[in-house]
Amino acid sequence: MIQLKELFDLIPLLIITFSATFILLIEVFVKKSETVIFGFTLISVISAIGTSFLYINKQLLIFNQYLKITNPAIAFIVIILTGILITVAASKQYLEKENINFGEYYSLLLFAVMGMMIMILANDIIIIFIGLELMSICFYVLVGFLRMRKKSNEGALKYLLLGMFMTGFILYGMALIYGITGSTNLTVIYSNPKLFTNFIFITGVALFFIGFLFKIGVFPFQMWIPDVYDGAPTIVSGMLSTAGKIAAIGTILPIILTLNMLNFRMVFSIAAIATMLYGNVIAIAQTNIKRLLAYSSIASAGYIFVGVAAMNEFAMKGIAYYLAAYTFMQLGAFIIVSILEKKDDGSRDYKNIDLSFYKGLGKRNPVMAIYMTLFLFSLAGIPPFAGFWGKYYLFYAAIQSNLIWLSVVGIILSLIGVYYYLKVTVYMWFTESEDIAIEDAVSVSGFGITATSLAVIGTIVFGISPNLFFKMFNFII
Amino acid sequence: MIDSYIPIFIIFVFAVGFGIVMVKFSSLFGPSRPNKEKLSTYESGIDPVGTAHERFSIKFYMVAVLFILFDIEVVFLYPWAAAFLNFEPVKMVYSFISVIVFIIILLVGYLYVIKKGALKWD
Repeated sequence: MIQLKELFDLIPLLIITFSATFILLIEVFVKKSETVIFGFTLISVISAIGTSFLYINKQLLIFNQYLKITNPAIAFIVIILTGILITVAASKQYLEKENINFGEYYSLLLFAVMGMMIMILANDIIIIFIGLELMSICFYVLVGFLRMRKKSNEGALKYLLLGMFMTGFILYGMALIYGITGSTNLTVIYSNPKLFTNFIFITGVALFFIGFLFKIGVFPFQMWIPDVYDGAPTIVSGMLSTAGKIAAIGTILPIILTLNMLNFRMVFSIAAIATMLYGNVIAIAQTNIKRLLAYSSIASAGYIFVGVAAMNEFAMKGIAYYLAAYTFMQLGAFIIVSILEKKDDGSRDYKNIDLSFYKGLGKRNPVMAIYMTLFLFSLAGIPPFAGFWGKYYLFYAAIQSNLIWLSVVGIILSLIGVYYYLKVTVYMWFTESEDIAIEDAVSVSGFGITATSLAVIGTIVFGISPNLFFKMFNFII
Repeated sequence: MIDSYIPIFIIFVFAVGFGIVMVKFSSLFGPSRPNKEKLSTYESGIDPVGTAHERFSIKFYMVAVLFILFDIEVVFLYPWAAAFLNFEPVKMVYSFISVIVFIIILLVGYLYVIKKGALKWD
């Protein structure tokens, strides 16, 4: 029987839900509401992060076993909320620049976060589905938020059609899983001893995972990522590539680890290699910084799947750490792209997102260039930064499972990645801009700088002291 | 286990077969005397005017979407209202609070819709 006091186990979720709804009221009843809503969103996200820490070490099963609070779930939620905090802080100046400064943006963002939290906490496949849909529908709208831009519309339509199609896969998989186990509850599904002898169950799980692999962007299902990230408002691309992926990984990772799908290790390994190869090789040819970062996010999904293929106790820690590092560096890079993007002048395309624009940036705008260099170094996996330790823990987990060949291939492929990250760095510092007339008077608001600085601090602090993260969420290493 | 699906399979075969037989037989044995009126688009007896591919105002879509939203609200409330009096007291209070929360969330949406002018026709 559900009790009302169980609501106290969900304070972060309630805060996010309440503020997402309340923003709509502020939007219509307060004049000049955008600044009020911006402040309100910041406060609610910060308080949600703060209250999340109350639940560490609390292992709870609440609401008729519909939701399950575990340490990794809390870690994933805190990572997502931190990413959203940085996104929100950097959003204001971007939205003002693009003339889309509406309160609904923040509401949609928070509803998406609510979906992600529900998904990660879910202990029932129907609840997972509700969370997934809540998240996805908000994403479809956010991708098309710049409605006067051709690319934004194109990206939103592609994402909507493909996303709906993949939702069909997930639902069909859920139907088969329910048909075999007779329950939608994950605890009951896990307790069934001879699941993997049943062909229909395997088909169901495969279909269920296909939908999630689509959201993460793993190899055969990655085709939407460049177009959508390229078309979406830059700040939304950053959010999609971090928070959206983390939510999907945080949902399926406990399922993969609990079902102990060792027979399918080969499938995950091949998916990981194909993803890393695809992302890293195609990123080399990109001339558009948003597409380059999109392919780099595909490559990162590949590294994460090296950890998934390991399927041991190090995998969860490695993936959680990598995701925390990845949030700071990927989001930071996207925010800098969004700051440097040209102000809306009524044209129907994004301006200043070509790589050639980054030539000579070090002279024109040294602060942004230094920050961008830090993020790119971290993404490339160069030691003092968090990205290095992220890859280290993932490949370490793979070696612990005797997947040495996989880690070797992964390291070689990640070295290919170093090339295009360094290419941008070389463009910024060691080349002169071809077009001297590039006007680059970017006015960076205080919040934009704060957001990027937060990402830089995260990248460096977690890079210098990786154990800090594990202590924070009480992972035992 | 598959055996228990055999009746469903038989019904499926019957349904498809019945459909094909009815359509085919009536076209094979029925009289066919077409004329101009019979071959024109069916519009409940009125002569069709213009094409169906026209642009509609967004207002129609707004009203339709909002109608579905608040219509489904009633669908959710109806079974609760019908079962409410049979609950034991504790459950009654609990379910009442839940439904109030549900209504408040919809009320926020309703206020938003009204204030944004989504229901204004002019």
